[in-house]
Amino acid sequence: MSLEVSRPAAPAEPTFAAVAEDHLDDVYGYLLYMTKNWALAEDLTSETFEAALRHWRRFDPRRGTHRAWLLAIARSTALDWFRADARRRRREERAEAGELGRERDLAFGEGFSPELEEGLRALTAGEREVVALRVVLDLDGDETARLLGITVTAVSTRLHRALAKLEERMRHHDVA
Amino acid sequence: MTSPDLIHELTATRPVAPTALRARVREITTQDAAPKASFWPQLRLPMRRFALVAVPAAATLAIASAGVLGVARSDDNVAALRNDFYAQESSEKLLPQATAPQPNVGAADQSSGSAVAPTLDRAQRISATLTVEVPDSDGVSRAAQKALDLTESLGGHVVSANVATGDQGSAALVVRVPVAKVQEAIVQLSALGRIVSQQVTIDDLQENLDRLQRRERSVRAQIALVVANLENESLDATTRAQLESRLRTLRQELRGLRRDTAATNAEARMATIQLSVVTPGVLGAVPVPSRLDRTLDEALNVLVWEGVIALAIAIVAAPFALLLFATWLGRKLYRRREEDRLLAT
Repeated sequence: MSLEVSRPAAPAEPTFAAVAEDHLDDVYGYLLYMTKNWALAEDLTSETFEAALRHWRRFDPRRGTHRAWLLAIARSTALDWFRADARRRRREERAEAGELGRERDLAFGEGFSPELEEGLRALTAGEREVVALRVVLDLDGDETARLLGITVTAVSTRLHRALAKLEERMRHHDVA
Repeated sequence: MTSPDLIHELTATRPVAPTALRARVREITTQDAAPKASFWPQLRLPMRRFALVAVPAAATLAIASAGVLGVARSDDNVAALRNDFYAQESSEKLLPQATAPQPNVGAADQSSGSAVAPTLDRAQRISATLTVEVPDSDGVSRAAQKALDLTESLGGHVVSANVATGDQGSAALVVRVPVAKVQEAIVQLSALGRIVSQQVTIDDLQENLDRLQRRERSVRAQIALVVANLENESLDATTRAQLESRLRTLRQELRGLRRDTAATNAEARMATIQLSVVTPGVLGAVPVPSRLDRTLDEALNVLVWEGVIALAIAIVAAPFALLLFATWLGRKLYRRREEDRLLAT
């Protein structure tokens, strides 16, 4: 008499397409908060997934989740854009055409109330970033700290300051 | 608006990727997910994982090479020790030829220790130096006591005895035993422990003894002649005085010759044995290390040299490594500040 013992099937590794589908909204939302511009956020989201596809084989699940990995690439992509934008602005300022580059700041996105959009615009990119990660995407403190390269305490402080500032701006808008 | 309301609104208005973007990303994901992999990216390892492999591998390699070299060099040492041994043995064989006609017995010739055979019909000065090793300090005391008992039983006596106990006990005894029993004494003293060294020296005294006896006979004859001359009553006072003076001198010389002869005979009757009893590690007792000990010693030497070389490389490389680290740190700090500045807008 022989017994056949069936081994439990190992969990199949998700494909890049599945991972992208699962976390597209997270990446887009994060970049939208970072850039305040839906069109730019869409472009950077595409760039992020292109870069992610290139590095897909180097993803190590022991070092973090797919979402954290994609957000790290998104952050790097956004910072690269900020750097390029800063250089472009400096060139334009030298050419006395500094206002041209601000056209892309006009549209934040759909679904936001006017007061929330105005409040978010008043925040810095760093403040919007931490609000996006901790509140909108619901990352925990450790994951956010690792992504931003700062301590958990610094994350809490930055988030508290950003929410207070946002609350203040929105209260001011209500009064007005 | 309160914080809970704000957070509720923020989560409620969570951005959703537009359909066009979703389609664009789907298009990206349908591309070949396995990009042309170059050779180097496949070999890239995280620093921590690399260190986890490289450091034990380097340590294993260092220890293995030390072990191999240790084994190889211990073989060389066997040959060297053998050469040293033969060199020592031949030098010991040369020594007694210069001092005595009898061959002496070296440490390596333990079994022939009993082959020392003094020539009893000739006067000889026999001296032996013997070093035996016992396992511990208690063994030193026991061996010293046995040596004293043996000396007494053979009709000899102790000239000096110095016994020290402790972690590394040792004893130094000088005993004299009758020449007829010296062979037996050496054999029994050698049995007190492991023989580390043994040397027997025999000097011939017979020639000196014969010379003393010849001189004594001559002096006696001269004394007899002087005494006969003094019996002549016709001698004048001056000659008598000279003969009497000569007689006194000859008698004095005769006493000296008798004393020397007696001393030489006494020296030839008793042999002197210097016995050292030592424990392992005491100076003078250098045990031949085992093959394993030699291998370990050589391996340790190789490891020490490897360490010295590694330290030298580290000393040379340290400034460059420090410079690289400072550059890396500076770049990191610069980027952090730049990021902060960019995100502050």
